[in-house]
Amino acid sequence: MVKGKATYEVPIGPIHPALKEPFMVNFKLEGEKIVDADPHPGMNHRGIEFMGMHRNPLKVIPLAERTCGICSIVHQHMYTTALEHAVDIVPTERSRYIRTIMMELERIHSHVLWAGVAAHEIGFDTHMHFTWKIREKVMDLLEAISGNRVNYSMWTFGGVRRDIEEDMHPQIKETLDYYKDLYDKLEDIFLGDPSIRHRTRDVGILTKKKALELCGVGPTVRGSGVKKDVRIDQPYSAYPDLELDYVIPSRYGYENKGDVFSKTLVRLKEIIQSIDLIEQCVKKMPEGEITSEPNKAALLNKLKTASGEGIGRLEAPRGEAMHYVRLTEDNEDVDCWKIRASTYNNLATYAPMFMGEQIADIPIIAACIDPCIGCMDRAEIVDIETGVKEEYTKDELHELSVQKTKDLLEGIDR
Amino acid sequence: MNIESILEGWLLNVVFIFLISFIGIFLGLLYKGFDRKISAMMQSRIGPPIIQPFRDVRKLLTKETIVPENAIEWIFNGAPIIALIAPLVALMYLPIGPFSPLLEGYGDLILVLYLLAIPAIAMAVGGFSSSSPYATVGAQREVVLMMSYELPLAISAITVAWKMNEIVGPETNPFSLQVISSNPIWGHVGLIGGLGIALIVFTLFAVLPGELSKEPFGQAKAKTEIADGVFVEYTGRNLGLFYIANTVQMIVLASLIITLFFPYQLSNLLERWIILQGPILPIVEMGVWALLVDVVFYLFKLLLIIYFGVSLVRVAFARFQIDKASYFYWVPISIIGLLGLLFVVVGATV
Amino acid sequence: MPTSTIYLLIKQLFEKKATNPFPLKYAPDDMTSAAELIEKGDLDLNPPIDVPENYRGKIRYDKDCCIGCKLCVRVCPSEALVFKEEEAKVKHYVARCTFCGQCVNICPKSCFEFSEEFLIAGTDKNAEDLIINP
Repeated sequence: MVKGKATYEVPIGPIHPALKEPFMVNFKLEGEKIVDADPHPGMNHRGIEFMGMHRNPLKVIPLAERTCGICSIVHQHMYTTALEHAVDIVPTERSRYIRTIMMELERIHSHVLWAGVAAHEIGFDTHMHFTWKIREKVMDLLEAISGNRVNYSMWTFGGVRRDIEEDMHPQIKETLDYYKDLYDKLEDIFLGDPSIRHRTRDVGILTKKKALELCGVGPTVRGSGVKKDVRIDQPYSAYPDLELDYVIPSRYGYENKGDVFSKTLVRLKEIIQSIDLIEQCVKKMPEGEITSEPNKAALLNKLKTASGEGIGRLEAPRGEAMHYVRLTEDNEDVDCWKIRASTYNNLATYAPMFMGEQIADIPIIAACIDPCIGCMDRAEIVDIETGVKEEYTKDELHELSVQKTKDLLEGIDR
Repeated sequence: MNIESILEGWLLNVVFIFLISFIGIFLGLLYKGFDRKISAMMQSRIGPPIIQPFRDVRKLLTKETIVPENAIEWIFNGAPIIALIAPLVALMYLPIGPFSPLLEGYGDLILVLYLLAIPAIAMAVGGFSSSSPYATVGAQREVVLMMSYELPLAISAITVAWKMNEIVGPETNPFSLQVISSNPIWGHVGLIGGLGIALIVFTLFAVLPGELSKEPFGQAKAKTEIADGVFVEYTGRNLGLFYIANTVQMIVLASLIITLFFPYQLSNLLERWIILQGPILPIVEMGVWALLVDVVFYLFKLLLIIYFGVSLVRVAFARFQIDKASYFYWVPISIIGLLGLLFVVVGATV
Repeated sequence: MPTSTIYLLIKQLFEKKATNPFPLKYAPDDMTSAAELIEKGDLDLNPPIDVPENYRGKIRYDKDCCIGCKLCVRVCPSEALVFKEEEAKVKHYVARCTFCGQCVNICPKSCFEFSEEFLIAGTDKNAEDLIINP
């Protein structure tokens, strides 16, 4: 690059065809080359936590799953387990397996959907239509199990609300076989097609060092070879009983490069892993009740005065996510509810990935972490009087946190 | 020559110009509809009805035209008109089906190639003048792409003309499209030459999506990258004109390929076949029927070229990055074109 | 370049299309006259795909068995159920319903049940069929 060459700015977002949700990145460009990227989240704040804090715990379950349209099971699972943790409810053994099956089905659905979005971002609409066509099969299965195509409303405290009966097994088997048959084709397309290969290889590289430093999660960092997966590190639901291993490219004879190709590979391999996990679950599923709290009215009264705080975390299709819930005796509603979605962590990995790439690579890199802005955007700080958005530096935030802790401690002393 | 007959000839030409323009636009939109339908079907969708582009254009032409505040207005509004006129003019120089070109003798292949470059330039100029950063990036890409595909395009034209020169002798203009279309090139080259011509056909087919800004060479209006690039600020009538220009350009390019390589007429064969049948069939007066058969055959050839050159390619590949696209035209496609030229030359000397 | 995509495309060209042309293959030119034709029965609509068993459609409410315990109102996340004091029954706004089915589960008398009806979109959220027990 010639020194002193004029740079110019191109804003991508808040509304842009490359982004499926409102979010903004300011790019500084030299010709087609990106020299600086500055992400600005905070365009999609919906106040969902605030809404949750004005409802009783049972009402929040359907609300929690509406945090995200794609990983709705993820959020209702995290919220439910956080609350179970807070008030010591133990889900039944059978429900753990049903939950695991549902979560893995959703992982298949989410990864297939992502593949379609990625294809669309590089101008390959044929494969968007193809992957979304085959996605219908798992959607049908999810609908047959839960009764809804999205936002399944399956979870309740202590278990699930709908059972997977014996007569459902043939349909599950048929769906899994369908994906097993198609898997080779998917791999052939997304790893073998020359025009997709040249758009994804060596594009948006996230080194292992950067991935660890920036605390990325999920397939984004597994593509760089980081062994990080909540399902194995701290297993929940039925995962302790199942056999699974970290999906990283080197396991399949590829380099742990961290480019878009590696991330695609990880997501595709996770589809086959999910199929395997569901088969294990169906085989090992124990008999028993589907919920430990069948009397909802009694549960509602119990939760009215319950107190405690709990954490629910899991490996979402996009990476580790977490919910925090606090209940207090004098508050019938959820006292505090905090969501930390996986995109929040992965957003930090944008900066090293964009650097030095072309404009043409912006959409595919933006899509490669599978961003879900609706899950992520929790707060936007605006000075109401002037309408000016404020940004806090790390030091200022630290100061505020210290102040808040002091205030809380004073309250306890009193 | 008296003034009356001059006026009459002039008037007739004006009528024909309007007629051909109308037919060009009509065919363009019709084949655009076909392209959309067939690519939808290949993607396992039902797709829009064939006449959807007509509806789109009707709607666009009735919409308000918005000019951005910082745009240079006259260039911004002028670019789509230029973009539409150029392919329409090119259509006057091309034989359409059995009809010889309207402006026969006034221009040749070289002129048509220049006319084909104008819509791309108009798009770039319109993009630059619209003051949007997206359009600027798109316009830069359009110019880069145009510079890249001009070389293989020129190689193909030169190869055909060189061979024509050998066939028809030095007295006739080998670039004349009428000459080229009345001497199908395949009959005059040997086996090696035939291979060369096949490579040239491949080169021209590779240039087709670049000329039309279709995937995998749709960088100038990449939707997910720069939000339709050069067209980002265009609305209403201006956008409608660009839309029509693109469809007419498609017809011009397909007709050019037909003229250069597949100028066969079905009526000749049919006539011969009828004569061969002898007394069994009553001797049919061809005339109008021959014309009709040729027109239908021409439309069929257009269909095939648009299917294989535009629709299939557009849905079968991802969009390239601009540097890769430029490289693709400068190196592999140019080499294929030069190889074709070499084969034709070798085939002629052997 | 014969990539696997091209084989896929050619195959899909001749296969049955994935799109279900419900309710019509193409949008009619004129919606109002099309609606009139449908009412008269002159225009055949393509059937939708069958819903699975246990589908969560529009909720049915059996008013007579309701004892007015208000449990459903306490668990409805979107305030679609409103208690009518004078009648001691509930009023159900279908437009607000999220089909979570918490009322179905909690009702001690099983007065609620899911139907298979899903064509309930409308332009007026206060339309007669979108409020149960008005």
